[in-house]
Amino acid sequence: MGVMKALIRKELLLLLRDPHGLLLLFVMPAVFVLIMTFALQNQYAMSSDVHLDFYLLSEHDSGLSRAFARDLANTSPLNRVPTEAGWEEMQALAQADEVKFLVRIKPGFDELLIQRKPAVEVLFAPGTSPVFASVAEGRVMELLNRLYLRYRLASMPGVQSSLEAQGEDLMEARSLYDDSGAMPSSVQQNVPAWLLFAMFFIAVPLSTTLINERQQGTLLRLRSMGIGPVKLLAGKVVPYFVVNLVQVVVLFLIGLYLIPLLGGDTLTLGAHPEGLILVSVAASLAAVSYALLVAQITSTIEQATIVSGVFNIIMAALGGVMVPSFLMPETMQQIGSFSPMAWGLNGFFDILLRNGTVTDTLPEVGALLGFTALMLCLTVWRYRRRAAEHG
Amino acid sequence: MISIRQLEFSYSPSARPVLKGIDLEIPENALFGLLGPNGAGKTTLLSILAGLIPCPAGCLFVDGRDMSEADNRSAARLSLVPQEYAFYLPLTVRENLTFFAGVQGVPKAEMDARIHEAAGQTGLEERLDSRAGKLSGGLKRRLNLAIGLLNRPRLLLLDEPTVGIDPHSRHFILETIRQLGRNGTTVIYTSHYMEEVEELCDQIAIMDHGQILRNGTLTELLAEAPQSVRGRQSTLESLFLDLTTRGLRD
Repeated sequence: MGVMKALIRKELLLLLRDPHGLLLLFVMPAVFVLIMTFALQNQYAMSSDVHLDFYLLSEHDSGLSRAFARDLANTSPLNRVPTEAGWEEMQALAQADEVKFLVRIKPGFDELLIQRKPAVEVLFAPGTSPVFASVAEGRVMELLNRLYLRYRLASMPGVQSSLEAQGEDLMEARSLYDDSGAMPSSVQQNVPAWLLFAMFFIAVPLSTTLINERQQGTLLRLRSMGIGPVKLLAGKVVPYFVVNLVQVVVLFLIGLYLIPLLGGDTLTLGAHPEGLILVSVAASLAAVSYALLVAQITSTIEQATIVSGVFNIIMAALGGVMVPSFLMPETMQQIGSFSPMAWGLNGFFDILLRNGTVTDTLPEVGALLGFTALMLCLTVWRYRRRAAEHG
Repeated sequence: MISIRQLEFSYSPSARPVLKGIDLEIPENALFGLLGPNGAGKTTLLSILAGLIPCPAGCLFVDGRDMSEADNRSAARLSLVPQEYAFYLPLTVRENLTFFAGVQGVPKAEMDARIHEAAGQTGLEERLDSRAGKLSGGLKRRLNLAIGLLNRPRLLLLDEPTVGIDPHSRHFILETIRQLGRNGTTVIYTSHYMEEVEELCDQIAIMDHGQILRNGTLTELLAEAPQSVRGRQSTLESLFLDLTTRGLRD
């Protein structure tokens, strides 16, 4: 036990004396979580803070066109900005990003609508994101269809009164995310995503230490002192496992307390937060075993830094860390499902988004443990091969 | 007493042997110099002595105990001081000594005493709280040696312990090794500095191509050394060059 205590203490001391390692493991993910959470906040939730500003130009005056203009202005999250500008000037202002889009009610609006021809022109500003553009387009289409139906059915007796009902009255929408109907926010995606990214980055300090030990003869000295491969391995796994768990705590605290303090949404832990512990442990074991393999397959610190950096970024890009999986096409989602970071992220989402239980996380936990076993087998194989080559 | 009997070794069955029938007797408390050009097999021999490479049964004995058995090895209390700075540069001298004492199972109650003893023997008491990475080359060599003394070794294996240091530090380290010998530690010392070996060691072996070419006291070896071409006294270096041929090895 004394030997393990000495090995663990040494490893933690080395990490504490390594400002670059601390930057990589704690500062980088914390900064990423803060930046990405706030940057993507509007992409995740169409909250009352989001306004899609638009100018409207009506070139037709009728009851229908006025109803369209009025209803469009009252449609959330669209926000009509009053202006006296003409069409050309409006385009110049949209070009300058003053508004997100322009709506022009064409002359002969009523006839065009009834004939199911384009009665409205919509122009988007160059900087409008596709997500916002599709929201705006959807709202305009929805209104036009409603007006068309209202017009066609207006003359039918007994229908008039029911048509007065608003669309919202005819539809009940809610989210499975929680009972209040709230939608998951950016923080729910970004905290677990960047946490996993950071957890796998322990490959850099761990492999650096191990390669230094190998190059400086320290490993040789430890072996001559009777410290076998199992103890040496455990002496790396345990402290970095602890470091991973500290990362989990730090990033979850940021999501729970710091982000709301800065005006963002609060991270909610779901109905069964104990499941987070299981996923964190499995993800940590996967990350540590991956780091051990990186240290074994590389000979220099430069190689280890490049290999771990490149593979981490690929795993993160495919695994839905950098771009959420639901935004990817089907093929990319299928490829991404092979990334250990995707398994970890899905495990966290089971608890954080899907209100799942520990049982729901078992497939992902199993995959991560399988990955751990594979990495450890490859590490042992490489270690033995290296020992046979170099004595 | 260390006995090496007909020790053969190769890194794989198909590879050429690195050690070929090594026979050596090293008396207790001896300061034993092991010389050889690069690739002679010194490091492999030291690795076997240090337990880094398992030795076949019946080839290596310390005080009559077969070192192929793990229990006998731990009882032999040997210590290897590698040629590299085999410690952690970001840690302080004290933290390094504490760590290496800890992994060797030094009891907590004895820890401080052992650290001060090793630091005292190597003149590092005043530098216990200095970062190892900030030490000069000579102090680093002394720390390397101090770590090797933490288990109060009966057999100390020193692999070129004075490489790249100033004369004062070299003198200090050689004096420390001499003192260790006087206090009952058997020292096996490898070096490329012939004058150091001449000055320090009371028994010397010269090896090349995995074999021991000569073994004896300095006087015995010098009696066999050829006269220098410059007409100077026979030296260990001239014997070494003569035995191992003068061609470049690297």
